[in-house]
Amino acid sequence: MADAMEEPRKDVLVHLNMLEMKANHLAVKQQEVWQVKVGREEQLNATLQALIIKRDQLKAELKANTSLQNLRTLLDKTNAPCERDVEDMENGSENSQTLLLMARHTQLKDLLHAHHLIGGYNVLLTKGKGVCVSIATAYEGLYLETYNLEINLQCKIRISRHNIPPFIPLETMVKQGNMQTDIRAFLDTLSQYLNAYVGRRQQLHLVKEIHNSVQVMESNALCTILVLMFTVPGEKARAALCTLEYNDHTQCLPTRVLIESEDTALASSPQWKKDQALLLETPVHRALVTLKKKGSIA
Amino acid sequence: MSLLKPFSKLPELNTANILLVENEEQFQQILAETIVLLKKNVNVNVRLARSLPLPIENEKFRPRIDLVVFIINLTSELSYQSAEVSLKFLDPDYFLGKVCFLVTNARNASVPPERLISVRKLVASLHCPLLFAEDQMTDGVNTAAHRLLAILKVTSGHVPMATGLYLSSLTRCTVPSDIDQQNFD
Amino acid sequence: MDQSMKRTLQRLIRRIPFQLLKTTLSKWAHILEEDLLLLDFTQPKCLFTENLLSLCEGKGTTVKHITELEMIYIIENPNQVMWRAFQLLDAREDAPSIELTQFKEQFKAHLTELNSHVSIKIKKHTDEAVWIRIAWGDNFTKPNHLKPTYAVHHLQTPYVFVTGLTVKHKPLLNQALVLTTRYGSIKDASLSGRNLVAIRDLLMRQYQQVFPTKHPKPLQEKNHVPTNPNIEKEQIENTENRLQMACEAFGDGTLPQLQKAVYQLETKFRDNSNRTLTGSDEPFRGVVEFTSTNLLESLRHAVSSGIASTPVTPLLSSITQKGRNYFVVTDKGV
Repeated sequence: MADAMEEPRKDVLVHLNMLEMKANHLAVKQQEVWQVKVGREEQLNATLQALIIKRDQLKAELKANTSLQNLRTLLDKTNAPCERDVEDMENGSENSQTLLLMARHTQLKDLLHAHHLIGGYNVLLTKGKGVCVSIATAYEGLYLETYNLEINLQCKIRISRHNIPPFIPLETMVKQGNMQTDIRAFLDTLSQYLNAYVGRRQQLHLVKEIHNSVQVMESNALCTILVLMFTVPGEKARAALCTLEYNDHTQCLPTRVLIESEDTALASSPQWKKDQALLLETPVHRALVTLKKKGSIA
Repeated sequence: MSLLKPFSKLPELNTANILLVENEEQFQQILAETIVLLKKNVNVNVRLARSLPLPIENEKFRPRIDLVVFIINLTSELSYQSAEVSLKFLDPDYFLGKVCFLVTNARNASVPPERLISVRKLVASLHCPLLFAEDQMTDGVNTAAHRLLAILKVTSGHVPMATGLYLSSLTRCTVPSDIDQQNFD
Repeated sequence: MDQSMKRTLQRLIRRIPFQLLKTTLSKWAHILEEDLLLLDFTQPKCLFTENLLSLCEGKGTTVKHITELEMIYIIENPNQVMWRAFQLLDAREDAPSIELTQFKEQFKAHLTELNSHVSIKIKKHTDEAVWIRIAWGDNFTKPNHLKPTYAVHHLQTPYVFVTGLTVKHKPLLNQALVLTTRYGSIKDASLSGRNLVAIRDLLMRQYQQVFPTKHPKPLQEKNHVPTNPNIEKEQIENTENRLQMACEAFGDGTLPQLQKAVYQLETKFRDNSNRTLTGSDEPFRGVVEFTSTNLLESLRHAVSSGIASTPVTPLLSSITQKGRNYFVVTDKGV
């Protein structure tokens, strides 16, 4: 405009041209603004649609979940719900069967988890061929090793890989137990064996840790024999050898306790008879604590 | 079968993307780290792959790839074969200057001479440049990284007045006619 | 001390590397600490041996003392010789209840019953292994202490590791072992190696095995490098998957050191152009041998880096799963 004022004598056509350009420019700008507006609106609309869809989806999920929950409580209560109950609850929904299955699945999963938590086995599908069973072992509330078995389920049940120590007679257990038909019994025996072994080993470990005055003379890999040396106080303190034999490999307690000493009277003394009973009934590390308190050993 | 295409995506500002393909995944890692640490005025992204085709899941997030480098370890026949197979999953447009080959271990005494010849023939038939790299030493890796970066800058359009096609017509591998002759002798 | 004893001691001292001489001798109860001070460990070995011989002469050293020294050396350094593993089969009911003193007495009794001209020494090592040293003789010769057989047995396990056993004495040792350990029979476990601890760990599954779990811990990436945000791996899942598979097949952490794995192929030759080979009744034999300073580590690396294809072929994973490194592959499989 300023240019136009400064040069009023310029051609009128030039002025018109300029005006036209301005108008064009303005039009373009207006168009742009309008487009932005519309674009924004469209965008908002799209977001709205997406949100609505999401809300519906969440609502449906919520509904499915609540009905699943209800079914679960029903299942947990009755243990086997009648079809009618389900029908009633679902008002003849087509998905009732699926829901029932889903509820049952979650129930079983929770059971398995609970079983694992109380020291049972954890079963996991491996890629394709079989399952991997892990057996957790514990002694006196302390989790110790977890042993694993990879079991091949194709045609015949077969253990393909494991990390169970070699002195556990796994093969004998496989042969004797009916693994093909009753895998649970097999796993139970194995678990019992492993827990007992780990327990005995832990006892031995505790004896070494707590009792400095007691010397472990001999033990073996399976921890089924334990020879301890301790001194028996008296007028003449004497060293005594105590042999604990664990002949039942599924137990943490000894089946036979023997004592040897220079003092031959010790083995037949009434005091020793009591101690022997104590050693047979309580885990060795705790029995030794009691014996020490009583003054039977130094 | 999904082909990797050079122009299916828009380029990003000040960014160049290089794809290193190596069967053994050893040298590519070292090379990638060196390239990323080099001083440069564009943002360079390195993508590593063992072989082509690339997984479809990553398709969405994968930027436009400006240069594909096949790394061939000459001591391993498998490395060559894998590169050869991977080539089929590349769009023909890439061969207009956006592919190059990097050979390692070429000086190793245990390499049969025929293997280098077959690699050269392959590269020459595709009209691509062929580089050699010393992968055992830091200096060698640095040199290789610098050279790849120089090529990448051209193919990603960060060098005015030059294109990948233009560069590769100057640097592409040719097989001397006497190679066959030597073999024959 | 007679001539043969002198030779035995000389040989033994020659076998022990110089840097181990002092520690080994100091564990030998036959030589006292003040005697040890008299010996000059900086002397050349032949001179040193002379001095030691004269010292022993004065102390009235017997064969028993020398074998004791040898056992000390072998037990401390078991990796100088080749060990073969044997497996005991068909455990009897009372097999797990055997204990050391019983084992010692019965083994000696059973073996001397078969061959009365043997010299047996049994020692229990700290890691619950029973070491048995046998020097063999026959009706006309005294027990040869230059070439003894060593057998290592862990009580209550069905495995025995043997070195220096000749074909002639194998049945005798086998029978004595089977009878003493209360098993039904014994067989070659097809596992051998220089590292005794490694083959023991492999058979007794005392290395770190990886099993699929519900709560997978991220596998420790070897020589992990901080990743740059500008580097992206296209096939990262693939890599992790391969690492997992490699660890499941061969184990995690440090693996038992095996030196080799041998695959012997026995098959019928099938090629119509070659009449002589195709028609022959003898199977066609081929042997594939993998050697490495640590074979399992190499195989794991080959699988995790993708040089070997996944899933791992049962031929390779059998090394750890079956605890063998010698396989005969026939037409019907392993």
